[in-house]
Amino acid sequence: MRKLVLIGAGAVVGAVAIGLGALGLTSGSSGAQASKVAPDSAKAPLLATGDTARLLGPRQPIFFRHDIHAGQYKIQCQYCHYSVAVSAEPGIPSMQTCMGCHTVIAGSDSSHKVEIKKLRDAWGQKKPIEWVRVHYVARHAHFPHMRHIKALGPNACQTCHGDVARMPQIYKVNNVNNMGFCISCHMQRNVTRDCSACHY
Amino acid sequence: MADEANNPSTIDRRRFLSVLGVSGAGAAVLAGCSTDRVQKLIPYLVQSEDQVPGVATWYASTCTECAAGCGLHVKTREGRAVKLEGNPEHPVNRGKLCSRGQAALQGLYNPGRITGPMARAAGGGFQEITWDDAIQRLAAKVSSAGGKVAVISGAGRGTLSDLLADWTTALGGRVARYRPFDHEPLRAANKAVFGRDELPAHDFGKAQYIVSFGADFLETWLAPVENQRGFAQSHGFHDGRMARHVAFAPRMSLTAQNADEWHPIRPGSEAALALALANVLVTEHGASAGSFGASLAGFTPEIAAKESGVSVEAIRRIGAELAAAKPSLAVAGGVASQHRGAIEVCTAVAILNWVAGNVGQTVLFGADLDAGDGAHAIDAIGSALDAGQVAVLLVHEANPLYALPASLGFAARFAKAGFKVSTSPYLDETAAQCDLLLPDHHSLERWDDARPRAGVVGLMQPVMEPVFKTMATGDVLLKTAQKVGGALAKFAAPTYEAHLKARWADFAKAQGQADAEGFWRAALQRGGVYTDRPAADVKPAAGAAAAYTAPAFDGSGEFYFAPHASSFLYDGRGTNKPWLLENPDPVTKITWHSWVEVHPETAARIDVRNGEILQLTSPQGSIEAPVYIYPGLHPDVLSVPLGFGHTEYGGYAKGRGVNALDLLAVKPGQSFVPYLSARVSVHKTGRYQKLASTEGNPRQLGRGIAEAMPVTLAAKGLGVKEAAAAEGHPEAEVNPERELEAIKGWAAEVQERTRKGDYAGDHPQWGMTIDLAKCTGCSACVTACYAENNIPTVGEDEIHRGRELTWMRIERYWEGGTAADKPIEARFVPMLCQHCASAPCEPVCPVYAAYHTPDGLNGQIYNRCVGTRYCANNCPYKVRYFNWYKYNERAWPEPLNLQLNPDVTVRARGVMEKCTFCIQRIRGAQDHARLEGRPLKDGEFTTACAQACPSDAIVFGDLHDPGSRVHQTSQDHRGYHVLEEVNTRPVITYLAKVTSGAEA
Repeated sequence: MRKLVLIGAGAVVGAVAIGLGALGLTSGSSGAQASKVAPDSAKAPLLATGDTARLLGPRQPIFFRHDIHAGQYKIQCQYCHYSVAVSAEPGIPSMQTCMGCHTVIAGSDSSHKVEIKKLRDAWGQKKPIEWVRVHYVARHAHFPHMRHIKALGPNACQTCHGDVARMPQIYKVNNVNNMGFCISCHMQRNVTRDCSACHY
Repeated sequence: MADEANNPSTIDRRRFLSVLGVSGAGAAVLAGCSTDRVQKLIPYLVQSEDQVPGVATWYASTCTECAAGCGLHVKTREGRAVKLEGNPEHPVNRGKLCSRGQAALQGLYNPGRITGPMARAAGGGFQEITWDDAIQRLAAKVSSAGGKVAVISGAGRGTLSDLLADWTTALGGRVARYRPFDHEPLRAANKAVFGRDELPAHDFGKAQYIVSFGADFLETWLAPVENQRGFAQSHGFHDGRMARHVAFAPRMSLTAQNADEWHPIRPGSEAALALALANVLVTEHGASAGSFGASLAGFTPEIAAKESGVSVEAIRRIGAELAAAKPSLAVAGGVASQHRGAIEVCTAVAILNWVAGNVGQTVLFGADLDAGDGAHAIDAIGSALDAGQVAVLLVHEANPLYALPASLGFAARFAKAGFKVSTSPYLDETAAQCDLLLPDHHSLERWDDARPRAGVVGLMQPVMEPVFKTMATGDVLLKTAQKVGGALAKFAAPTYEAHLKARWADFAKAQGQADAEGFWRAALQRGGVYTDRPAADVKPAAGAAAAYTAPAFDGSGEFYFAPHASSFLYDGRGTNKPWLLENPDPVTKITWHSWVEVHPETAARIDVRNGEILQLTSPQGSIEAPVYIYPGLHPDVLSVPLGFGHTEYGGYAKGRGVNALDLLAVKPGQSFVPYLSARVSVHKTGRYQKLASTEGNPRQLGRGIAEAMPVTLAAKGLGVKEAAAAEGHPEAEVNPERELEAIKGWAAEVQERTRKGDYAGDHPQWGMTIDLAKCTGCSACVTACYAENNIPTVGEDEIHRGRELTWMRIERYWEGGTAADKPIEARFVPMLCQHCASAPCEPVCPVYAAYHTPDGLNGQIYNRCVGTRYCANNCPYKVRYFNWYKYNERAWPEPLNLQLNPDVTVRARGVMEKCTFCIQRIRGAQDHARLEGRPLKDGEFTTACAQACPSDAIVFGDLHDPGSRVHQTSQDHRGYHVLEEVNTRPVITYLAKVTSGAEA
C-alpha cells in the first residue's frame, strides 16, 4: 500500500463525495438538439440508425448517450467526471465506473444492448475504450475546471459544453479552443483577462 | 465587419494576431493544437484511489545517488514521477536536494536503460530472454557453483544489502560492498586515533571556524546537502557575525571557492599543516595535547611552511583564530586529496579536532555514516577470481570496470569469473562484460529501505509502474532461492516486499511498537523512522600518534596530476544524465566534455591557451583534453574531472571525454585508491577544441553585479554603498549631475505609472531575495529549474554557439588575484529574470508577448511570441533565452519525455522563454486556496529553485504582505539590485555577500 504524503488525498476524496451529494441534474437552456424532446421530459428518444447519421459530433467507438445517462436517468455529471470540482482535469470515468452499473444493466432494447455489449467485451479483454476527444484547449493554455465549477456552481458544465443532457452524441456547441469564447465570458463577469492566468 | 474582413488594408491587430495564433500555435505545442488531428481520451480500466488526474500525488522515498541517503518527496502526476524534492522531515537533508539527487529522475527515464532480462548470445551480443528463463539460468549456475559465488555490491546499508549478504553467505560465497568514493582513509584514521572504524557526522552549523584540508564537503564529501545546510547556517551572515572558512588544497574546488581564505598548498602536505596547527594550539594557545603531546612536538609551523608553501605567519595566525573560535571544525579526506598519505592526513586532522576540542561538539561519533567495505574487499574478490574460486559473480549497483583504475588490472581478473551476472539498470562497462543481465528496478520503482546512519532508517517505495520490464533484485534473489532450494530454502518470502515488511515487523518489535502495520504505514508516510542519537563519547586510542611523511608520486613528469570529483558526475554515475552534463560545472562553467585545468602562470610558461588540446602522459598512458586556464590551482598541478570517459553506459556517456583514472598507477593490495598519486608530463598537440563553456566575462569590471562587504561593516548594519564608501571606494560618478537629475524624474514617472490601473489594489507582488552570503554556487537551483520547467538540454554544439537555455544560471566572478596582497576570491550570483517593474523587454515587444502581469510578474506568453528577439536584446541581465531549434523534439528521447511537467507548456522553436517565477506553482497555489475559500498563505508554496536550495539562500513570496518572509529579507541592509543604475526596478533583491577577510 503506497501512502499519500503531501497535499491531502483525504481532502480531495472528501470533496468529491460532498460534490456528488450536493449536485443536481444538469438542466436549463436548450441545445441544438433540444427540440427533439420537451425540456422537462426525462425520456430520451429512441434513435434509429438513420437518425444517428444526422447527429453532430464525432462518432464514438461506443454510442454512449449522455441524453440517457444525464438526461433520462439524471446521473450527476460528477458521478463520472469525478475530478472536475477539485482538479484542472474533469476526469473521464474509468471502465470500472461504467461496469459498476452495466454489470447489471444490459440495455432495454436491441440498439442499446449492442453498445453495452461492446463495453462488456472491452472490459472482459481489459482494453480501455478509446473515446474521441471533442473538447480541448491548446496545450499552451491552462483551463482549471475546478475554478470554474467553484465560481459558477456544480451545474455550470453547460456554460461551455452545451446542454449535454439532451445530446445523444456529444458535439462542440462552443469552440472552447477559441480564446474569444473565454474572453467574452471573462469580460461579461469582469474577471481576470491577464494573459498569464491561462498561458504559461 | 464584412467590409473590414474583405479589405486587407483595414486588418486590425486582433485579426492579425488570430492569423498568427493559428500558425504559431501549431508549432507551439507538442500535440493538441492542430484542429484536424483526432485526439483520444483513454480511460483507466480501474481508477487508482491515489491518483486524481491533474493533481499531483506525492510519495516519500530515499535517494540512492550517493551514500548520504537523503529523504525524497517524489511528485507524481498521472502515475509518473515528474519531480524530486527533499523530504523536510528527513534529518539528513531537511527538505533540500542536490543536483545529483534531483537528476535521479533522468536515471529513471534514461534512454540507456536495459529494457528487460538479457543473456549473452552465442555470437557475442545480448539476446532478450524472459524473466522465467533468466531466473532459471541464474538458479542453474548458482546450484552448480558449489559455493563459489561472489557478489560486488554498491548498495547502501539496508534490507536488500542484508538479504544479499545472507543469500551469498548461505551459499558459502562472499560479498564485497564496494563504492568508489568510500572515504576509506577517514575510517582508517578514526580507527587509529579513536579506535572507531567509522565515519562520524559533522555539524557544520555549529562550527565557528572551519578548516578544510582538501575535503570537498560541499560537493562529494560524506553528506553534501547536510554539510551545505550547516555551512550556510554558520558561514552565512547572521546576528552580526559569521564563521570563517579556511581551505588548504592544491586545487580550488567549489568548497574552496566558498572559503574566506584558500591556500594552494603543495600536494600531499596537508598532514604537516594540520599537525602544525595542532602544535600551535598546544604551544601557543594552551590547548591540551593529551596523549598526542610527544608526537606533536616536532611539527612546527616552520616545517609545515616548508612542506606546503604556506607562510609561517599565516599558519600562526590561523592557529590563533582557530584557538579563539569554539567550537571549530577541521575536515579532511575526499577524492581530491586522496594521495598515498591520505590516512596520515585524516589522522592529523582527527588529532587537530581532538586538540581543538571539537570531538563531541562538531565531530559526532556514533552516527556511523554508511560506508562500504573499502578497496581491500574488492581486492579479496580479485584474489578469489585469480584462484578460480568464483564460478558465479554477481555485480549489483556497482561498476568496478569503470570506477577502478585500469592499472589495477581488475578487468582481467573479472574475466576469470565462470559466469558473470549484472543487475545494473544500465548497460555500463561492467554489465557489458557480463553473461546475464537482470536489470534492477530504479530505486523509484521498488521497495527497499536504507540505513545511511545510526538512527535514520529511510524507506523506498514504488512511486509508479516500472518503465521497463525490469525486476527488483530482491525479487530475483528470492525467486532464485526458491528454485535453488537447499541452503537458500530459508528465503521463503513470496516477494521482496513481503520480505521487507517482515523485517520491518521485527524492527517494530525492537522499537517496542505493538502495531507493526501502523508503524510501517507511519514510516512510509514520513519516509522512514528518525531517532536522535546522542554523540558517542570517544577517547584517543592508545598508541595513536601524529606522523607525516611526504607521500610518494608515480612517474617523473613535471606536474602533479590531480583528478577531482565532479559534484555532478560523482563517481561517473551522473554522466548518463543530460541535466548534469548541460548544467555548467559549478567551478569551471564547462558543459558536456572533459577539460584539463592549468594555472595561468603555467599556461603562460608552456604557452597554451584555453581550448588547446593538451596531452598528459604518465607511465600508465596518456589522455588528451582541452585546456581550461584556472587560477584556482597550485602552479605545479594539473586537474581533470573524474566521471567522463565511459566506454559504455548509454548514449549520453559513451565516448564522452576522457577517463582520468587511466593515468593512475595503482597496485592491488591497497586499502584505498590514491587518486592524487601520479606525475604527468605534458605535450602540446597543436589541436584545438572550443570549450563548451557558459562563462561570460569572469570579471565584474566594476558593474557591481556580485557585491560584497567585510563582516566588520556588515555587522554595523551598513548598506552596500555605505560599506563601499567606508572602505574608501565612493560610488563612481557614472552620470553627470544633470543626467542623474533627468533619470530621477523619469524614474519617478515610471514608478507612478506602475502603480496605476490593474497594478494597484490588492494584487500580490511576487518577489525574491537571494542571500549571496549563503549561496555556494552549487547549482542545485539550476537543476531544479530544468526539472520543473521542461527546459530542454540543447547539447554541446548549441552551447558552443551561445544558445544555452537555462532560465537560471549561476554566474561566477573573480575578484582580486591580480596583486599579491589581494588573494583571488570567487563570487556567485544566481541570475534569473529579475521581473523588473520597469522592464526593458516589455515595451520593445511588437506583439505584447512580454508584458507585466497584475501580480508583478514579467509575463512571457509563448503563443503570442513571434520570435523577434527584441526583448532579449534589450534585457540588461541577459536572462531571456531563445528557442532556436526544435529542441523539444530531441532533448527528451523516449522515455525521458515522461518526466515533463504537465503543468508547463513545452516550448517549440522560435519562441523566447525565460524564468516565470514558476508561475504554474503560483497559479496552482491560487487555485488551491480559492477552492478552500481562503487567501494564499506565505510559505504555502515556493519556486523550484528556492525549494531546492540547500543553503536556503533563496526566499520567494509576496512583497506586499508585510508578514511574509521575503518582505522581511528584502528590507535587509545588505540588499541591493543588480544594475540598479539602469532603473529597471527588479523585484529580486540580492543580499550582498559578507567576507571574513584576513585580519592579519
